[in-house]
Amino acid sequence: MAASVREKQAAALKRMLNFNAPPLKNTAAEPVWKVLIYDRCGQDIISPLLAVKELRDMGITLHLLLHSDRDPIPDVPAIYFVMPTEENIDRICQDLRSQLYESYYFNFISAISRSKLEDIASAALSANAITQVTKVFDQYLNFITLEDDMFILGNQNKELISYHAINKPDIMDTEMEAIMDTIVDSLFCFFVTLGTVPIIRCPRGNAAEMVAVKLDKKLRENLRDARNSLFTGDNMGASQFSFQRPLFVLADRNLDLATPLHHTWTYQALIHDVLDFHLNRVSMDESVGSESSPAGARPKKKNKKSYDLTSADMFWQKHKGSPFPEVAESVQEELDTYRAQEDEVKRLKSIMGLEGEDEGPISSISMSDNTAKLTSAVSSLPELLEKKRLIDLHTNVATAVLDHIKSRKLDVYFEYEEKLMSKSTLEESLLDIISDPDAGTPEDKMRLFLIFYITALQPTSEIDLDQYKKALLDTGCDLSPVNYIKQWKAFTKIAATPSNYGNSGVKPMGLFSRVMNSGSQFVMEGVKHLVLKQHNLPVTRILDNLMEMKSNPETDDYRYFDPKMLRGSESSIPRNKNPFQEAIVFMVGGGNYVEYQNLVDYTKAKPGKRVLYGCSELFNAGQFIKQLSSLGQK
Amino acid sequence: MAVDITVLFKASVKTVKTRNKAIGVGFDLPKEEIFKKSRPKHGFSLKAKEVISNITKLKDFLLQHRKDYVNAGSLISSDLTRMTDNERDQIDQDAQIFMRTCSEAIKQLRSEAEKQVIPTQIREHRGAVLDLIEIYLRGVCKLYSEQRAIRVKRVFEQENQRLVSEMSNLVDEVRQIEGKVVEISRLQEIFAEKVLMQETEIDSIHQLVVGATENVKEGNEDIREAIKNNAGFRVWILFFLVMCSFSLLFLDWYDS
Repeated sequence: MAASVREKQAAALKRMLNFNAPPLKNTAAEPVWKVLIYDRCGQDIISPLLAVKELRDMGITLHLLLHSDRDPIPDVPAIYFVMPTEENIDRICQDLRSQLYESYYFNFISAISRSKLEDIASAALSANAITQVTKVFDQYLNFITLEDDMFILGNQNKELISYHAINKPDIMDTEMEAIMDTIVDSLFCFFVTLGTVPIIRCPRGNAAEMVAVKLDKKLRENLRDARNSLFTGDNMGASQFSFQRPLFVLADRNLDLATPLHHTWTYQALIHDVLDFHLNRVSMDESVGSESSPAGARPKKKNKKSYDLTSADMFWQKHKGSPFPEVAESVQEELDTYRAQEDEVKRLKSIMGLEGEDEGPISSISMSDNTAKLTSAVSSLPELLEKKRLIDLHTNVATAVLDHIKSRKLDVYFEYEEKLMSKSTLEESLLDIISDPDAGTPEDKMRLFLIFYITALQPTSEIDLDQYKKALLDTGCDLSPVNYIKQWKAFTKIAATPSNYGNSGVKPMGLFSRVMNSGSQFVMEGVKHLVLKQHNLPVTRILDNLMEMKSNPETDDYRYFDPKMLRGSESSIPRNKNPFQEAIVFMVGGGNYVEYQNLVDYTKAKPGKRVLYGCSELFNAGQFIKQLSSLGQK
Repeated sequence: MAVDITVLFKASVKTVKTRNKAIGVGFDLPKEEIFKKSRPKHGFSLKAKEVISNITKLKDFLLQHRKDYVNAGSLISSDLTRMTDNERDQIDQDAQIFMRTCSEAIKQLRSEAEKQVIPTQIREHRGAVLDLIEIYLRGVCKLYSEQRAIRVKRVFEQENQRLVSEMSNLVDEVRQIEGKVVEISRLQEIFAEKVLMQETEIDSIHQLVVGATENVKEGNEDIREAIKNNAGFRVWILFFLVMCSFSLLFLDWYDS
C-alpha cells in the first residue's frame, strides 16, 4: 500500500467530485461548476480530507446539507454524497420532484439496496426527471480517515455502536446484529477502498469475534461473485504489486480498559483528553487580551475559537506524538526562527525603501544580489505568514493544555498511573492522592482509582475498597463505574491473567535540563518534566505477537480467517509462516489516541512495517467514564 | 472503489414502469414530453457559459500559435511558419484586448448578479461561479504572459548575440593590427641594429681612407723627393761621368 488510506480516500472523493472521471492534469482546464449536497455522515467524511478551498478548486460552488432548505439552482449539476437511509432517500425524492437542479449524480456512501433504488426511480418517474439522473454510484467510503494511518467508523450515530451499546447487559440479539452489521459494513468499505483482502485474526468469545465472522463472510461472498467482485483487476491498482496481504487484528475493548482512562503526556493525546478535539478540529474558549502567561490568566472575554489541525501543518505532523515539554520547546524554537526570518525581511525592506538617504549601504551592496534577495523574500512572504499563523495556533493550544495540566496536576496523575501500570513501587499511597483537594477533578481521581482497581494483581480487600470509596464520594465522584468494573473483572477473571502493561519507567528529567528549559516562554514551574520510556500497551503487544508470528499464550488461541481460501476455515492454524509487513488493528468498542500513539511508536522502531489503527469510535477518558457510569447503573 | 450502478438504476426504472402499468397507475405523458423538456436556459448561466467559451477560444488560439510565436523551430523553418515581429505584436495586442473584454464581461455579470434580487444560495453560487471563471481567465492570461516573456527574453537574447558578435569582430581586427605592429617594430629593431653595425664599419673605412690619403700624400712627398733625389743623383752621375770622361781625355793627352 504505497498510498496511505487517507490518500486513497481523498483520491476517491476527488474522483467523485469530478463526476467520477479520473481527474485530468490539464493546465487551465475549463471550469465546470457543480453543487455538492451531503448529509452529516458525508460531511464528517469529507471535512478531515478536503478543505473548502480544495472544494472550490474542484469547481464546487456551493456545499449544502441534504436536510437544509435549498433553493432551486437551475442549470447546475448536483453531486449528492449521502448514506442510503430512509430519510435521505425521501429527501432525495422530494428534491427530484421539486426539480432543484439540472442533473443529478448520486453517490451513496455505502451500498444502496434495490428497493431504495426503486423508490428513487419511481420518484424520478413521477417527476419526469429520469434523464436528469445522470449517474448513480456506490462509493464504499463509509469510514472517516483522520490521519494517514488512523481511521474511525462513522461519527453520527456513534451511540449505537459505542462501548456502552455493545456491552450493556440487557442487549437484545437484534440490536447486537444491527450493531455488528454497521461495523462490518464500514470495515468492508474500508477494505474496498484499500483494495486488499486481509487475513483476519481475532480473540475468541467476544464482540470482536462476531465482527470477524461476519466480515469474513461478507468478503468471501464478494470474492465469489466474480462478476461484481470489488477486489479484482483495475480496482486493485498499486496494491497488486505488494505480494503480501495485510494482517487485520480485531481487538475488543474489554481486553484493556485501563488505557482509555490513562492520563497521557503526548501532545495529540493531551489535546484530545483535555480540550474539545473532534475530527481534527480543536475548539476552545479563547480569552481575549490575555498574554500567554500560564499561571492565572484571568479571562476577560471568551470567544469560542476552533482550529483545524491538518496534514499540511508541518509542526503538527512532527510533534503530535512528542511529549508535551518537547512541544513547548519546539514552539519556542519555531517562534525564534520565525522572528529571525521576519527580521531579515524587514531589513531588506528598509534597505530597499530608503531612497538616497543612506547612500552607503546601497552603493556597497551590488544590485543583482539585492533583487535576488528581494524576489526570494517576496515569494517567501506567504509562507512566513502561514508559519506565523500556525505558531500562534499552537501557542494558544499548548497554553490551554498547559493551563489544564497545571490546574489539575495531570503530571502527577500520569506518573502515578505509569507506575501502577508497570507495577513498580508506589511512593505515595493512592488514598493520599484521592483525598488531595488540589489535584485534579473528581473525574481524574475516578480514573486513577479505576486504573488501580483494574491493574491490581491481588483483589483489594473490602476494607481498603470501602476506604477508597468513601474518599471518592467525599470528592464528589459518582461510583457507578466502579460497579461496572467489578462486574467486568469478575467476567474476565475466567480469561487469562490481567494484561501486563509491560515495564515502563518514568524518570523525572534531570535538574540540568530543567534549568536549560526554564528559559522557554512556557515556564513550567512545578510541572515535572517526565520522560516517556517506551513501553507497550496490551494492544501493541498482541499486534507484535501476531505480526511476528511469535508464540504467546495470549494470542495462540486467536481465530484465523482467510476470506480467499476456498473452504470455510475453522482452523486456527495460520498457513502463512512469514512475519507480516502490514497490519491493521481495529478496536471494537472504541479506542483513543494513546493506543494510536503507542502503535505509531512501535512502527517507528520497526522500519519497513506499516500499521493502521482503527476504532469503532474515538472517545476520551471523560466520555468513556460516562459510558461506564451508565453501564454501572444498570 | 466506486461501483457504477447507473445501469441498475435504469433497470429499476423499467421495473417501476412495468409495475405501474400493471397496477394501472399511469403517468400519461403527452407525446411531446418524450423528448427532453427543453428548460428555459437561465440568462445568467448562458452568459457565463458564453464567457467561458470565449476564454477557451482565446486559449486555443494562443496554444495553436504558441510554437510559431516562440519560434522554437529549427533554423531551417520555412518562411510560411515563421512569424514576423509584426505578426507577434498583432497577436499580443489582440490577446490583450480580448482579455480585457473578458474581464469586463465578468465584472458586468457580477454587478448584474448583485443587483438582482435572488435567494442567498443562488447568489453565493453565482459569486463562486464568477470566481471560477476569473481564475480560469487568470490561468489563460498566465499562458499568454509566459509566452510573451519567452519572446521578450528571446529578443533580448538576439540583441545580445548581435552585440557579442560585433564586439568579437572588433576584437579580432584589433588583434590583427596588434600583431602587425609588433612585427614592424621587430623589423625596425633589426634595421637599427644593422645600421649601427654599418656605422662602425663606415667609421673604420673612414679611418682607413683617411690613413690611405695620408699615406698617399706621404707617398707623393716621397716620390717627389725620390724624383728630386733621382734627379740630383742623375746630375751627380752625369757630372761624374763627364768628369771621368775629361779625366780620360786628359790622361790620354798626357800620354800622347
